[in-house]
Amino acid sequence: MGSVADAIANGGMGGRLWLYSNYHCNLSCSYCLTESSPGVRRRVLDAAAILARAREARELGFTGVGITGGEPFLLEWMPALLAELAEILPVIVLSNATLFTGRRLAALEPLAGLPVRIQISLDSASPQENDAMRGPENFAKAVAAIPALVERGIGVRIATTLEDPDGQDPAERDRLCELHRSLGVGDEDHIVRPIIRRGRAVAGDMGLAVGFDEIEPELTITADGAFASPFGPTVRAGELDSDLLVTRTVEPLSVPAGALARLVGSAESGRDARLGIR
Amino acid sequence: MTSRQLVRPLAAPQAPLLARPYYSEQGTSPIVTSLAHVPEALAVTMPFIATVLGPSAIGARTKELAILRTSARLGCEYCVATHSVVALDSGCTAAEVRALRVGTDESDAIFSAAERALLRWVDAVIGATGAVAPAADLAAHYDEAEIVELTLLCAATLMLNRYCTALGLPVSAATVERLAAEGL
Repeated sequence: MGSVADAIANGGMGGRLWLYSNYHCNLSCSYCLTESSPGVRRRVLDAAAILARAREARELGFTGVGITGGEPFLLEWMPALLAELAEILPVIVLSNATLFTGRRLAALEPLAGLPVRIQISLDSASPQENDAMRGPENFAKAVAAIPALVERGIGVRIATTLEDPDGQDPAERDRLCELHRSLGVGDEDHIVRPIIRRGRAVAGDMGLAVGFDEIEPELTITADGAFASPFGPTVRAGELDSDLLVTRTVEPLSVPAGALARLVGSAESGRDARLGIR
Repeated sequence: MTSRQLVRPLAAPQAPLLARPYYSEQGTSPIVTSLAHVPEALAVTMPFIATVLGPSAIGARTKELAILRTSARLGCEYCVATHSVVALDSGCTAAEVRALRVGTDESDAIFSAAERALLRWVDAVIGATGAVAPAADLAAHYDEAEIVELTLLCAATLMLNRYCTALGLPVSAATVERLAAEGL
């Protein structure tokens, strides 16, 4: 396994391999890193490619897989893929949870008890505030989907993205935590993180500017190449950012993984992912 | 970006991680800003170019003769302009640079016997497909290591000539000004 496994083991590089399954989304959130919306170019990684990269990741010493987008569950084959991925490595998949009704919800039932967790975005206990950032009816759909997933034995994590997490009103934070607990998600599965000043957040003059020195390096595979972080393959004014691009080569995975491990190894001592962004 | 450029140059704020060491505040070559689109290719190509075209056991003047002659024969506007300046800085006179750019036997007469042997070898290496005619007098002036290095230099220059021409890489304003000042 060599230097990649070493970089993961010593904490220089995150153990989770991220894969952008697609870039299109049914929402158009105001802080979206990738300017995702229903009309954007989809740039899909097909299921076979995702499975192949996950198998390579396991061999290289990665300890988990993350799927993000876009909205991954716009891809009909996503639930079946997640079940297959869970046989390779533990999985986390990011979702807005607005599609989990009827047939799509039923398709998730085979994930019960598997090492698959769905990370759902919920930014406020207030429907008005949440939906101002994420779009109409997002709040109602998410709070309906979360208990439905929990009841089915599917792991759920909630992610709250804020302009200034440290400046959040404690009362508002308490209301949000009461809400996620009432939906069946404990404190250990609730993360709060800052808006990153990339993608659509730049146009909205929001968020925290980050570069390679502020992020935890996590290899991220997209249809456009391999990046140093899931915050890397961002899109601004329709153009893909390349400042966190590692390689265009994604297969074999050892090429970008080795390159990122070398970059991490050659970084100045004292470098750390001080923002702790997840 | 000029109308002839096929790909957008990546400016420093968009430089990929592997490409960043090749960017300079004093200005970055369009070879770098174009190769940066494929950083893993840039990361091996630039050290290769530096090794083959840069300082080595063979003197800079001799190397620039081969580079400029190759580039002129291939009609690479970017490489001819850029290496005309490098040739001047490596001890060539404006008349020698002009002769290399024209590339006739008469103009070659201003060079030494060893340099004329090199120019004939360059012409042989780049001038035809298939077998390369053995250079009768090359070994009289250059040892085996030098012949290998100079042949690799021609081949690498040829690769760069086609790369720069195909992508329409622009000549810098500073290069244009310097050449104008030298009457070139």
